[in-house]
Amino acid sequence: MKPLKMVIDWVDVRLGVRELWTANTTGYLVPGNINPWYSLGTVLLVLFGLQFLTGILLLMHYIPDTEKAFASVERIMNEVPFGWLFRYLHVVGSNLIVVVLLLHMLSVLFMGSYKRPRELTWLSGFGLFNLGLFLCLTGYLLPWSQLSFWATTVATDAAGAVPVIGSKLVEVLRGSPSVGSETLGRFFALHVVVMPLALLGLIGFHLFCVRRNGISRPPFGEKARPARVGEQFEHEHHDDGIPFFPNYTSEEAAMVCYFIALLVFISFFAPQIFLPLDALEPADPFNTPEHIKPEWYFLWAYQTLKIFPSKFLGLAVQGGLMTFLALLPFIDRGEERRPAKRPLFVTCYVLGLLLILAISIWGHYS
Amino acid sequence: MPEKTLPPDQRRRYLLAMLGAVGGALAAMGAWPLVRFFMPRDTGGAGSAIEIPRKDVPPGSAHFFDYRGRPAVLLQPRSGEFLALTAVCTHLGCIVKWQDDVGEFLCPCHGGRFSLDGAVLGGPPPAPLETFPVTLKGDQIVIG
Ligand code: HEM
Ligand code: FES
Repeated sequence: MKPLKMVIDWVDVRLGVRELWTANTTGYLVPGNINPWYSLGTVLLVLFGLQFLTGILLLMHYIPDTEKAFASVERIMNEVPFGWLFRYLHVVGSNLIVVVLLLHMLSVLFMGSYKRPRELTWLSGFGLFNLGLFLCLTGYLLPWSQLSFWATTVATDAAGAVPVIGSKLVEVLRGSPSVGSETLGRFFALHVVVMPLALLGLIGFHLFCVRRNGISRPPFGEKARPARVGEQFEHEHHDDGIPFFPNYTSEEAAMVCYFIALLVFISFFAPQIFLPLDALEPADPFNTPEHIKPEWYFLWAYQTLKIFPSKFLGLAVQGGLMTFLALLPFIDRGEERRPAKRPLFVTCYVLGLLLILAISIWGHYS
Repeated sequence: MPEKTLPPDQRRRYLLAMLGAVGGALAAMGAWPLVRFFMPRDTGGAGSAIEIPRKDVPPGSAHFFDYRGRPAVLLQPRSGEFLALTAVCTHLGCIVKWQDDVGEFLCPCHGGRFSLDGAVLGGPPPAPLETFPVTLKGDQIVIG
């Protein structure tokens, strides 16, 4: 341990790293009544890290060419040692990330953490949520299976409902009148370079916001604080709190382990949940399979498009809902964060959730 | 039963050791698939012989082919006489070229020269080119 200490001493004298470490670990106090929901952000960091790792491994064998993509994925599954493992982890991981994104979002929503002064945290988080969904959408096309091809055809077709420029927009998204090699090329570039970089940048900003504001005190019990900003910037201190490290980080580590266990369990025993039969056939642009459905997290959007008499109306409702959610901190400006004191909010929250769930289930069975 | 507690530093060392052991085991479990993923695969052809149609190697010419994952060359110096050698230069691994006019190999990287049976004629190569056994089977030439 002596040489290690010497190296740290050397760096410490120059950059004061010990002080930084203490200020962000044992000296960084988080609310004493912090709960497991607050560890979902860390779970997301770990899951995204895993996606980067497994994605890089897949990239070593994947070929972004309409003639070769499907066969290259088959080779990853059947020939490359442990290729199946890394592919399943990537596929199941992407679905798990959407689950955790939703849970994280729903928890900060329920606890009113999106309110002042955390509007930017919420906005950047909402951006991350959308980026996550787009990563899933673009990645879905890459294996060039029947499922990839037709799901992408339907998803990009939805943009045609935009008035005036609709049909042009669809072509721009696809790079050609129908889904083809241009689409694969641009989705590939988006999926492996553009969006991961954007994601990294936005995660950086999100974490900066979280650290700068300080973790909000969970809005339960006597000591709940109202959502307020004063004249000047103020970091939310918790002088009676618990150290972030090692106390809270060990709780987070436990949550991370639970989610990794779930990821590994599904990857080993039930990966077919996320790879239906149509994923096992190469894309055939002249032959649409029987029941083509989007992934579970797009079912609500799929069904709204079907419910409304005009496609434009359906799309407008979806856009309206997403815009409303993005701007929520600016619309809902009350100071109260305690759910027990916000009956209207909690009612809308529960009903809205049930509605989305019902529409998704309807979409699944329709 | 009287309660027995360990001094804190012993507890800490014990916990660290346990954490290290569990963490190490998990890391090893994760590392194994990665190691296998990166290890070159047994191509199945290794160790087995390869056949080349006789008409591919007219007398006096050189035919380059893949032998167990590395470039090799097949010669027919005199009618009916065949020679197979590695085409990988023993100096720094460039692929030698067959000089039709002089009947020897020249390595383009640093000017190493080899005779048609692989012996070093000049230049930096430290050792001769490895040769492979050749047999005839009908109109096929079997190497290895
Ligand atoms: C790539 C995806 C994301 C990552 C890696 C991430 C990461 C984190 C982390 C590490 C924290 C601090 C601990 C915690 O409260 O969980 C946090 C807090 C927060 N996140 Fe996210 N997040 C992501 C997506 C989102 C989304 C989709 C939203 C909502 C639209 C969101 C809104 C928030 C808010 C408001 C907080 C502050 C919580 C508080 O202090 O009470 N984040 N995020
Ligand atoms: S590599 Fe052939 S002479 Fe140097």
